[in-house]
Amino acid sequence: MSLPSAFTLEAFTNLGFWSGVLVVAGIYAVVTLGLQLNVGYTGIINFGQAGFMAVGGYSMAILVLEAGFSFWLALPAAVLITMGFGVLIGLPSLRLRADYFAIVTLATAEVVRLVAQNARDLTGGNKGLYCDFEGGSPVCFDDSWRSVSDSILGFVENFWSDPEPLLPLLLVVWATVAIGIVVLSYVQGTPWGRVLRAIREDEDAARALGKNTLLYKLQSLAISALLGALAGFFLALFLATIHPDDYEPIVTFFAFGVLILGGLASYKGVAVGAVLLWTLLEGTRFVELPISEEKTAALRFAIVGAVLIGLMALRPQGMFGKREEMVLGD
Amino acid sequence: MTEATDGEALLEVEGVVKRFGGVRAVDDAGFDVARASITALIGPNGAGKTTLFNVVTGFQRADRGSVRFAGEEVFRSPAYAIARRGMVRTFQITKALAAMPVLDNMMLAAPDQPGERIRNLFLRPAATRRREREVREQAGELLEVFGLEGVAGDHAGTLSGGQRKLLELARALMAEPKLLLLDEPMAGINPTLGKRLLEHMQRLRRERGTTFLFVEHDMEVVMNHSDRVIVMAEGRVIAEGEPLRVRQDPAVVDAYLGGAA
Amino acid sequence: MEASTAQAESTPGELFREFARERPAAVAFGVIALIVLALVAARGLHDVAQASLNGLTLGVIYALGAVGLTLVYGILRLVNFAHGDFLTFGAYMAYLVNVTWGMPLAAGIFFAMATTALLGLFFERTMWRPMRAKGAGFLQLILMSIGLAFVIRSAIQWFWGSEIRTLDVDVTDSVTFLGLRIGQTELLVVLVGLAVLVATGLIVRFSLLGKRMRALSDDLDLAETAGIDTRRVILYTWLFAGALAGLAGVLSGALTNLRPELGFELLLPIFAAVILGGIGNPFGALTAGLVLGVVIELSTLVVEPRWKVTFGFVALIVALVIRPQGIFGRARAV
Repeated sequence: MSLPSAFTLEAFTNLGFWSGVLVVAGIYAVVTLGLQLNVGYTGIINFGQAGFMAVGGYSMAILVLEAGFSFWLALPAAVLITMGFGVLIGLPSLRLRADYFAIVTLATAEVVRLVAQNARDLTGGNKGLYCDFEGGSPVCFDDSWRSVSDSILGFVENFWSDPEPLLPLLLVVWATVAIGIVVLSYVQGTPWGRVLRAIREDEDAARALGKNTLLYKLQSLAISALLGALAGFFLALFLATIHPDDYEPIVTFFAFGVLILGGLASYKGVAVGAVLLWTLLEGTRFVELPISEEKTAALRFAIVGAVLIGLMALRPQGMFGKREEMVLGD
Repeated sequence: MTEATDGEALLEVEGVVKRFGGVRAVDDAGFDVARASITALIGPNGAGKTTLFNVVTGFQRADRGSVRFAGEEVFRSPAYAIARRGMVRTFQITKALAAMPVLDNMMLAAPDQPGERIRNLFLRPAATRRREREVREQAGELLEVFGLEGVAGDHAGTLSGGQRKLLELARALMAEPKLLLLDEPMAGINPTLGKRLLEHMQRLRRERGTTFLFVEHDMEVVMNHSDRVIVMAEGRVIAEGEPLRVRQDPAVVDAYLGGAA
Repeated sequence: MEASTAQAESTPGELFREFARERPAAVAFGVIALIVLALVAARGLHDVAQASLNGLTLGVIYALGAVGLTLVYGILRLVNFAHGDFLTFGAYMAYLVNVTWGMPLAAGIFFAMATTALLGLFFERTMWRPMRAKGAGFLQLILMSIGLAFVIRSAIQWFWGSEIRTLDVDVTDSVTFLGLRIGQTELLVVLVGLAVLVATGLIVRFSLLGKRMRALSDDLDLAETAGIDTRRVILYTWLFAGALAGLAGVLSGALTNLRPELGFELLLPIFAAVILGGIGNPFGALTAGLVLGVVIELSTLVVEPRWKVTFGFVALIVALVIRPQGIFGRARAV
């Protein structure tokens, strides 16, 4: 049986396309690093990452477009807002048991998305946010980034005559992933990291040994909020828009797919899992089967679902996780 | 904080009430534990021992009552705060942190490790490293005392039941407790091991003045190794005193023979 | 110096808190009654009654979904994320019968209930039972249920596409009684839904199977040691839950329209009803579902309709934080 006829090599090696895939994979890696800290190392089942991304992205855009902040000031401010938001949800809900906490975080992320969709004056509603056309010249939230990006491309042109326009973003995203992996892996081996692992294993034992477990869980959640905010920024810059549809629960579910594929309790696994999953998902674009666009979309969903089920049934530790690290039982 | 002198009560519990629905699991219970003593808390099943234990250590919220540790009121303090004051408990079903090595289990328990606070990872890295070294050494010594040095690197989940019990005790000791509360320490371990545990307890009491309170069903242990016995039945304390006297107390005999087994 | 007890004798605040703990349902209904009275004062009886009636149609669907989900919780020990897609499946099965094959809606309803019941059974045999036998942990199961949700939804999308479809129902005619208007389809939804809910309630309360399902839901191991044929009861529970979910899906599809996200959109409110009702408690789920539907609809009297859904989620979050064991659940440690 021959390959489907429309599987062209040229299409397969389209740099622009694959750069895009790698950027998205990188964004998922960033957000999933936070998820790994939560699920794999602290034992808190956080289904709200899409919500953190939304809070980060929207805060940044709103600060730039409506409060007149400079982009470079809006970034850290938005990170702080997102972390504060994380602590706010965490305070009342971290004492709940695992599946209730999962539902609360999922519901909170949905509330964020729905507020973004309905508070039209603040967030642009279903039109989303990109540029503010009032006043003389349009101001877009990514103006500052664009000039930086162009400068980098200008520099690269010295070695590469027609550089891929996504290169600067690709570099920034993956630099973040690398730094994230290094820092988180280091922190894991510290006494602080040890307390986190103890909390994952048995929170009561940690409490009986004098550890203020709520505080540690809050810190874990705040860090993953930070990473979520960063991922939200990168997504906004990549899409050159901020829109509620980009923060649906499916994003969180995909992140879990990446988490499980790479393996629990493995930060580098997150990076590998992200690249693998997205290559798999996007790779189906090239296999031009005689099916409609719609069916292809359905197929991608089905693949993620099948991956989740298959992994859980056959290899719950994913690629790099260890079986005994798997957060089993309750 | 007032330091209670020898013979004075380290732990004073009074008037604890805990209701579950309509049932009073703990019904106005109270007792004292003297410093450097070994006290046993006994009673038939359903007497409310575990509930009271949980209330005292902060793992369960009671409706009313008072718990004073070293002169300070700790009723309704969070469990971790109580542990930090020096009241450390173990669990009946051991809570060995299975996916962590035995040594990590031990090092976790050590108090005053600056590296456990996230900001100290950046602000006081040297102090953190120093304390880690200290703690590792102490942990190693303590593991030797309990005969667990050979499994220090193994995941705690691979230990046998008896070894886990020892680990639980060793780990609790790493926390440098003033009062150690043991929830059925003898349950499910063989007599030789049990004897070793009791020897450790006696030695610790002698050498460090550590106070012990344990819930126990094994009467032989209770009679021969405790200074004082507190008997509970149906949520109340029905007798307190020296083992031999308590054993003969008609109320106690009644509680064990009549009603719940 | 005598040591006084740390807690003084009960203050009014404490007394109320204790009352709330012992009789949460009374407090909840009291609060709702107060809110309703306030709304009547603000917007008039007619508006409130109309909104309540509309809310009932929504509530019936939530209740049907929630009862099935809460029963299944007892088996899986987790909240099944794929349940929403069972609703979607039911809706599309009814579409097959009602629109594609041109048969009356009643036939569609029966077909939907039957096929969804069998779907539940299928996954129990192929997925859940083997995973239970393996001793699969909580995280594994919850992720599998999410994966399953994806698979079901994508299958539906594969066969029927993502365009919006409708069942062959009357959407224009309405009936008026007591000055309140209700669409013909809405009336159908309420009547059928309530009838099935009542029947379900009776079965769960009085039948042997119902007692066994409840015992299982309470404590699976205990039920087994008590000699109940848990395998069989589990199978019947899935059939039951599937049928109810299928019906909920059809009714929802009849009320609005058919789209692949139908079930997922209903999932969070259904979760809310399950949790508010006390997880594992089918009567609680039933009541909570109905009340939730009415409350969400009543909120449109105060906020703009587009905030309706958000309001529901916020209610869920608040409820979980205040009383995670639900209004009707037992006050055990969570």
